[in-house]
Amino acid sequence: MQKKIVEFTNLLRKSGVRVSVAEAIDAFRALDELSLDDREIFRDAMRSAMVKRSDDIATYDQLFDLFWSGFYDNLRGAFEGMNDELAAQGIDLDQLMRMLQEQLESLEPGSLDLSDLARALLTADLSQLEKLIREAGEQAGIARIENLLQIGFFSRRMMERMNAEGAAQELRDLAARLRAQGLSDDQAEAIRGLADRLLEALRRSVRNFAERELQKQNYDYMERFRRETLTEKSFYHLTEDEIRQMREVVARLAQRIKNVLSIRRRRMQKGKLDLHTTLRRNMARGGVPFEVTFKHRKKDRPKLVILCDVSSSVANVSRFMLQFVYSLQEAFTRIRSFVFVSELGEVTQVFRDHDINDAIEKALDGGDVINVYTRSNFGQAFHGFWQNHLSAVDKRTTVLVLGDARNNYNDPRAWCLREVKNKAKNLVWLNPESPGAWGFGDSVMDRYLPACDVAEECRNLRQLAKVVDRLVL
Amino acid sequence: MFDSIETVQRNLGEQGYICGKNIATVVYLAHRLEKPVLVEGPAGVGKTELAKVVAEATGRPLIRLQCYEGLDEAKALYEWEYSKQLLYTQILKEKFSEAMAGAKTLREAAERIGAEDSIFFSDRFIVPRPLLRAITSPSPALLLVDEVDKSDPEFEAFLLEVLSDFQVTVPEVGTFSAKVRPLVFLTSNDAREMTDALKRRCLHLYIDFPTEEEELRILDVKVPGVDRRLAEDLVGVMQRLRKLDLKKTPSISETIDWARALLALNAAQIDEALVRETLNVILKYEGDIRKAHSELGRLIVRKAEAPPKPAAPAPSAATPASGEATPGAQPVGPAAPAPPKKGTLH
Repeated sequence: MQKKIVEFTNLLRKSGVRVSVAEAIDAFRALDELSLDDREIFRDAMRSAMVKRSDDIATYDQLFDLFWSGFYDNLRGAFEGMNDELAAQGIDLDQLMRMLQEQLESLEPGSLDLSDLARALLTADLSQLEKLIREAGEQAGIARIENLLQIGFFSRRMMERMNAEGAAQELRDLAARLRAQGLSDDQAEAIRGLADRLLEALRRSVRNFAERELQKQNYDYMERFRRETLTEKSFYHLTEDEIRQMREVVARLAQRIKNVLSIRRRRMQKGKLDLHTTLRRNMARGGVPFEVTFKHRKKDRPKLVILCDVSSSVANVSRFMLQFVYSLQEAFTRIRSFVFVSELGEVTQVFRDHDINDAIEKALDGGDVINVYTRSNFGQAFHGFWQNHLSAVDKRTTVLVLGDARNNYNDPRAWCLREVKNKAKNLVWLNPESPGAWGFGDSVMDRYLPACDVAEECRNLRQLAKVVDRLVL
Repeated sequence: MFDSIETVQRNLGEQGYICGKNIATVVYLAHRLEKPVLVEGPAGVGKTELAKVVAEATGRPLIRLQCYEGLDEAKALYEWEYSKQLLYTQILKEKFSEAMAGAKTLREAAERIGAEDSIFFSDRFIVPRPLLRAITSPSPALLLVDEVDKSDPEFEAFLLEVLSDFQVTVPEVGTFSAKVRPLVFLTSNDAREMTDALKRRCLHLYIDFPTEEEELRILDVKVPGVDRRLAEDLVGVMQRLRKLDLKKTPSISETIDWARALLALNAAQIDEALVRETLNVILKYEGDIRKAHSELGRLIVRKAEAPPKPAAPAPSAATPASGEATPGAQPVGPAAPAPPKKGTLH
């Protein structure tokens, strides 16, 4: 039992659940206090001692099922399936077994020398079978299994270790001997058939065992792989499914930044001695300053103005950018968002009226204020902003521009952007194209660059998170 | 007191707290292993309540420490009572002069005062705060550290000593160890992930939203006057509401509030108009309410189909109640459900 729990702990660790030694010991202590008859209690007790993050609970539950159960049931399933099959062919397994039993007893003791496996098969002793399969698995080094292609290899190897072929042969021999002792042809045939089927059921079970082992050992592997690649994946090639998953990842990232932020902010707060409050607080002690208070340093939260290109080429970047920023709303004093393709329109209200995901889809669709089915014209958009919305920018505002600066050979009107920059605290440009492509073809990024305080490539979630993190600091 | 998981479940049930086996298991283990429990889960599922009820069931005094940003040692562990010290110095001034009367040099005087140091830094001048109180309590206590996620990360460091060794160190005086170990419950809404060091010292319990049956049983206990059929409908709506993507998912406390509200309104049946009017009891955000409004049809329509099914397998329990409720409900339009039903309910 102890060994199994240690093994299970290792499995948890392998799947990304952090279990310390102290926690494993707690699990042992907890199990000492309980009777292990009730599976649920067993599971809950171990979970409370070893799994401390609510995110990990699902992983734990699934692994628990894989590890602590199942195989036996599965084994039974395989052998019961055989039962039904035989019944369909008009053979009564029970009767056959009984007959076999009688025959075996009639053989003189000692003359029959069956291997463990053959005996277990013959008597359908499932727990013995399970034990044998597990042993074989251990000998075959099944814990090293890594991918689907190895299932066949390992199950073959396990069959060899168990000498399954030999056991089948023994059964066939037995049939022949019983035949010699005066069993009818039909009956001997039935027994031989049974032997084949037993072997087949065994083979299936072994294979199943190997499959489960693979799942167990590599649980979470694909999941983790997918999540990791998702943050690296370029926004240009996302399927719809991935967009959905991406949303979750963004939400999680935003939450994390939020958590860190509250700590950082608090650290920055302590300022100079606050004489007034200190005196007032210590009046009760005759003005002797027992308790000292400090002034809070006020750190301004930034104001944010977002100019978002929503033409189809950058829609995904805009989508996650907006989601990110609006998930972090409380980190900013005020967010105003504008979208553009050629003309520019404000969508701040849309975000106020709808919940975040709906609002984003609406904004990407032009938010009822602009026509998205035109060709990108950054010059016109910036001019529009300069003309109508320059008042939105003051010296505490960070302006965030999102776009690929592919201007379809229109006039870039970089001076508008320069004006905006002069009024703002910061102007940050995020471009989903890599810097190598800036200024080539119809890209006018090089013209806009002088007007940007920061210009960054931003085409996957990792880069986006980095930028957002800097923004809120 | 808690000698098996079943007794835990029963004892808590007697206090009006319906819990599943998982909760009972952890409470039992905490009791046996003398380990703190970190309770996590969405808001309003009864995390704090659990601690209170366990205190009640074990007869331990409940010592509660509410965490918030900026909570510090002085508020959580102990504090020197400066004013009292000051007062004592003032009153004892003469005694001091007496004590120092014979001193020839300044150094000697300082030595003498130094020798009396311990008078001023002794238990006498310590104001015990919840953590110290829980440790020094002569009878076994139950310490509830509520919303520990709201506290600063530094605060967790203070907690560590208390949680693992059940002792508190006051530099000037020494270490106070618990004579009897208190039972400790920490609750967290997951606003911030706790450090591994803290988690390692605790057993972990995650309380999720209850299943439909559990919620019904809870409602039975908490709002006894509510009609069985109404309760079933209400719980059904709540369960479906939770599946919506809401900013703040309503939990058990909202269910109870809603049941009480419906009881006060003398409602005997849930219909669209009623839900629309009382939705603000369960949903706390404008956006959520709007979303629920738009889904209202689905929340209730499905329910309208549902009654025939549950009524069939469990007629024994439901007959008296539903027999009264259905005829009363039929003629009433959705607009004015309240007045005619007064008679049926009471």
